[in-house]
Amino acid sequence: MERAVPLAVPLGQTEVFQALQRLHMTIFSQSVSPCGKFLAAGNNYGQIAIFSLSAALSSEAKEESKRPVVTFQAHDGPVYSMVSTDRHLLSAGDGEVKAWLWAEMLKKGCKELWHRQPPYRTSLEVPEINALLLVPKENSLILAGGDCQLHTMDLETGTFTRVLRGHTDYIHCLALRERSPEVLSGGEDGAVRLWDLRTAKEVQTIEVYKHEECSRPHNGRWIGCLATDSDWMVCGGGPALTLWHLRSSTPTTVFPIRAPQKHVTFYQDLVLTAAGNSCRVDVFTNLGYRAFSLSF
Amino acid sequence: MSSESSKKRKPKVIRSDGAPAEGKRNRSDTEQEGKYYSEEAEVDLRDPGRDYELYKYTCQELQRLMAEIQDLKSRGGKDVAIEIEERRIQSCVHFMTLKKLNRLAHIRLKKGRDQTHEAKQKVDAYHLQLQNLLYEVMHLQKEITKCLEFKSKHEEIDLVSLEEFYKEAPPDISKAEVTMGDPHQQTLARLDWELEQRKRLAEKYRECLSNKEKILKEIEVKKEYLSSLQPRLNSIMQASLPVQEYLFMPFDQAHKQYETARHLPPPLYVLFVQATAYGQACDKTLSVSIEGSVDEAKALFKPPDDSQGNVVKRRRPTLGVQLDDKRKEMLKRHPLSVMLDLKCKDDSVLHLTFYYLMNLNIMTVKAKVTTATELITPISAGDLLSPDSVLSCLYPGDHGKKTPNPANQYQFDKVGILTLSDYVLELGHPYLWVQKLGGLHFPKEQPQQTVIADHSLSASHMETTMKLLKTRVQSRLALHKQFASLEHGIVPVTSDCQYLFPAKVVSRLVKWVTIAHEDYMELHFTKDIVDAGLAGDTNLYYMALIERGTAKLQAAVVLNPGYSSIPPVFQLCLNWKGEKTNSNDDNIRAMEGEVNVCYKELCGPWPSHQLLTNQLQRLCVLLDVYLETESHDDSVEGPKEFPQEKMCLRLFRGPSRMKPFKYNHPQGFFSHR
Repeated sequence: MERAVPLAVPLGQTEVFQALQRLHMTIFSQSVSPCGKFLAAGNNYGQIAIFSLSAALSSEAKEESKRPVVTFQAHDGPVYSMVSTDRHLLSAGDGEVKAWLWAEMLKKGCKELWHRQPPYRTSLEVPEINALLLVPKENSLILAGGDCQLHTMDLETGTFTRVLRGHTDYIHCLALRERSPEVLSGGEDGAVRLWDLRTAKEVQTIEVYKHEECSRPHNGRWIGCLATDSDWMVCGGGPALTLWHLRSSTPTTVFPIRAPQKHVTFYQDLVLTAAGNSCRVDVFTNLGYRAFSLSF
Repeated sequence: MSSESSKKRKPKVIRSDGAPAEGKRNRSDTEQEGKYYSEEAEVDLRDPGRDYELYKYTCQELQRLMAEIQDLKSRGGKDVAIEIEERRIQSCVHFMTLKKLNRLAHIRLKKGRDQTHEAKQKVDAYHLQLQNLLYEVMHLQKEITKCLEFKSKHEEIDLVSLEEFYKEAPPDISKAEVTMGDPHQQTLARLDWELEQRKRLAEKYRECLSNKEKILKEIEVKKEYLSSLQPRLNSIMQASLPVQEYLFMPFDQAHKQYETARHLPPPLYVLFVQATAYGQACDKTLSVSIEGSVDEAKALFKPPDDSQGNVVKRRRPTLGVQLDDKRKEMLKRHPLSVMLDLKCKDDSVLHLTFYYLMNLNIMTVKAKVTTATELITPISAGDLLSPDSVLSCLYPGDHGKKTPNPANQYQFDKVGILTLSDYVLELGHPYLWVQKLGGLHFPKEQPQQTVIADHSLSASHMETTMKLLKTRVQSRLALHKQFASLEHGIVPVTSDCQYLFPAKVVSRLVKWVTIAHEDYMELHFTKDIVDAGLAGDTNLYYMALIERGTAKLQAAVVLNPGYSSIPPVFQLCLNWKGEKTNSNDDNIRAMEGEVNVCYKELCGPWPSHQLLTNQLQRLCVLLDVYLETESHDDSVEGPKEFPQEKMCLRLFRGPSRMKPFKYNHPQGFFSHR
């Protein structure tokens, strides 16, 4: 991971402010474009930056290639999750989900295609949306977050079709189990719940913190990240990162990583995971570790 | 036959008198026609061909007769003589015929010659005539060509165009009916008009000249009048001095100041003029004066005294002393200096003294702040108003430790001066804005050009710089007061900023000290700020300690000289159940963000002198929230050390599980950003 180069120019008000912003920036979400050439990243100030992966990964990459191609203010609050369909980028943060056209985003001054807000019960505070999940078979989007419910939205009509209730505290992450089709959700209450999409009911609950092998009470019981490979599931957060066998609901392997994990994904036979809080997105390719950072 | 030829000759001789005979005959022809035997006329009548035949026949006969005579003579005898005589007579007759023929031939020849001669003469005469005529023709052609090429002077005159001519010329000159058809007349008319116009213009010119003469004379008269006025005005001025003093209008004093100003070096002069102008026009709180000795300034331009050229041998001073002298010489200041006094609203005054270093061609400034009442300086506020650092970085990056004139480096190398910063205490700081106020601009691209003082550069920077100076003094004074309070553990929050914080704040500030730059760099939780280049040596560094119960929060503060437009930067380290910094606890990072990034909410009313104290108060509030919302660890026994008293909608939010740090006024609850 690169360190930021100390600035040599005399610092006026704007330069100092920008430096301070960068020091306190957190990138919460990222998504690769359908063509694979661009990466969108969303941060805690509500900005989305588009980076050109092809320029940054090429052999002639310079410092400028690692800067965003375009940056714009997408949401008022932080952008907690982003997901890409074959033409759109869907971003969600403070309570609403917005859609952007990938083809339009590279131009300056691009506006969102549409924005939708799921029906919330409380009106005092707008709950955040922490996770977005695409269900390609139904062409729908699942949103989950601060109001402890999973909402399903049909992407064609924009209507909210179902609401899945069951979590007792807000939801952190979602994963899709393709075969069934089932959705897994992990939340602050420490439980991973499996929902059947056809019956809209909770099928299975795994309370991770109750298992001694993986629980770490000093960190808390919250589940921060989830990934599933139909029979297997990896989850981590407060408890240690653990590989579970879903049918028997038993933990099989506990990974010895100390820090609470924020993101995890299965890739072929490997598990890639990251826990970082800075204004940089660290890129690993194939674990052949051609690592560098994209900086906001 | 010689006898024949001689015989022939004789008639020839006789007949060559034909001309006079002809002449006589001609005269006598007129007298007596038909009386003479005219052979000339006979020539015309006879046919020359027949004469030729006759001649041939006669010659033949003669030859025959001669041959017969010859025969006879050769035969001899008596009758021969008669025959010979007969033949002789015949031949004589033949001879006579021959003679006649000869005469005729001669006459013919002469006639022919005469005729040719006559004809030739005629031809000659014609030829001559032809030549004459040709010559005349040539001459005439030349003349014609000359005439055709003749350019009359009138074509060189630029005449007005036809339309203008017809428009402007009076009808008696333009005579349109005549001239339209006839170009010659037209040209004549145009020339006429030209002449008219020129005459008129010449008239005007003469008139103008005479006017000019008159006016010049008037000017002369007035000048004399004015020059006689000056001594009178002087005497009035003298007489009015006592009145001026009585009315407190020191015009004379200003005049004297201008007199002194004439001896100022150019950059100081520019500064003086621009500052006085600015003070008079925009800012009554600015006052300008000149200090120093005018005589010394005048002495600078005099040639060196004779006493220096003494031949007396003295021991040469040592090398070190020589170098020292050279250094002193290089860093010599001009004896005159300009003093600016800026008065601020609360009666504190910023005294600026500007000096000019002659050999280095730069200006320096020394600053001093005096307040209306005596200030008790708190320990931590030592550097705030010190003359050395009060004006540091007035503009970003302008630290005043290096000479702004790149050419000085070469001069320094010669006398062994490393850098001007060693001498700034005594000489003053050569800030860039000081050079700009003096109109000096040192371009980086071409350092060799001699730099001269420029009024427009000074004027364009005067207003901004004066405003910045005032803001700087006022913010420093405000900080001074606040530091006094902070050292006693009280965060002074003014009443118009109370709304930013909840009513009850339990965490307290227990310590506020100043720390050195090196110490700040050594702290383990400040690495990010140092790496981002925000911790330079021109900043001021402080350490604050906030406590509540067993929790101790250390805050390292970077105070940029450009406070309060550039916010102070805080880095936190919390000691409670372990050491938490921004590298291991996201919430600490979020707390830093609340004061560093969201500082604009905390600025308070302009001129935002409350920023630092509001940030400190907010840190206290954040510590309260942090401690109270810490989730209870089930594995540890006992109650929570800090019961939750703050009203929060939710304790955790978002994938990073942040605590609710944002305070909402007036509802009074905490939420997430």
